[in-house]
Amino acid sequence: MVQDIVAGAFCCVGTFFFLVGTTGLIRMPDVFSRLHPSTKCDTLGACSLIVGMAVYSGWSWELLKLIIIACFVLLSSATCGHAIGRSALRGDIKCWRRKNGVEDGHGT
Amino acid sequence: MISLVFIAALFALLLYVVANMPPMGDPDNPTNSSEVIERYLEKGGEETHADNVVTGIIINYRGYDTMGEVTVIFCALAAVLAVLGRERRGRIYAYVDRSRVPSSVIVRTMVALLVPFIILFSVYTILHGEISPGGGFQGGAIVGGSMIVFTTIFGLLESSQRIPQRLRFPLEGSAVITFFAVGALGLAGGGNFLTFAWPEIAGNLQPSLVVWLTVLVETGIGLGGAMVLISILFSMIREEEEIAVVP
Repeated sequence: MVQDIVAGAFCCVGTFFFLVGTTGLIRMPDVFSRLHPSTKCDTLGACSLIVGMAVYSGWSWELLKLIIIACFVLLSSATCGHAIGRSALRGDIKCWRRKNGVEDGHGT
Repeated sequence: MISLVFIAALFALLLYVVANMPPMGDPDNPTNSSEVIERYLEKGGEETHADNVVTGIIINYRGYDTMGEVTVIFCALAAVLAVLGRERRGRIYAYVDRSRVPSSVIVRTMVALLVPFIILFSVYTILHGEISPGGGFQGGAIVGGSMIVFTTIFGLLESSQRIPQRLRFPLEGSAVITFFAVGALGLAGGGNFLTFAWPEIAGNLQPSLVVWLTVLVETGIGLGGAMVLISILFSMIREEEEIAVVP
């Protein structure tokens, strides 16, 4: 019972971060600020979901598989964020700036 | 504002449709009244010896359909090569990295670390596809995707050395050939094309042999699909000047 509640809480946290990350991806104005919320999806969101599933499954072989999946998610998503951010920075993409408190309409 | 109203209306419509869908597992559902589905579910196990009824249907009952799909993939490769041209046998062409930012050490290390695991996962997908979701098409696509990542980071020369031409060219057709050969085996045994029932040799094949034949077909599809994807990638990415000769 307690196990189910803890697992559900972790899954809710993960879903919340996915929602926030996706909203940020749509609403943010440029590459760099979009990268910030969208990498949170993979790290906090997916890892919270995996922790929730690990609590739900208990001590079993699924736990080992979930740990391996979490490791690969962390490795690959961090690398993706690094590659996108680095190529945007080296490729001279301009940062978005607010002009005198007026939004320049780069958002959606 | 109009888009918001449109999205809200679409959302409500979809919710209405989902709420009116027939409940899962209800014996009165319209799909269950078909004789074909009854036959698949009741006789599938003993007729195809497949643990997974989906595998039995795809490889066996709908074998012609799957063979057509395999042929379509091969024809796609033929069309691409007819337009772009194949590299000459025994030659490797230059790949010029035209991206403005060369890939960093972190990306190179991570790709070199992860690609073997991706290929291992695809082997699992292909071999375990007989009893679980997955199979030859998916596993081959995973291998092709991993080689696309590897080639864009390390260049054409490195990946041409990893996947030699004399292995790649014959394996491109392996999906069609394996499927056709296994199908013709059924014909030789006195049964129908693409079935595993061989009345003239045995009333029905041993289940373990059928499992191995299925695995053979899946492996052929996986290898063929992967090689087709890699060949399309290589012919798209190559530059015109030759830089090396295959040892």
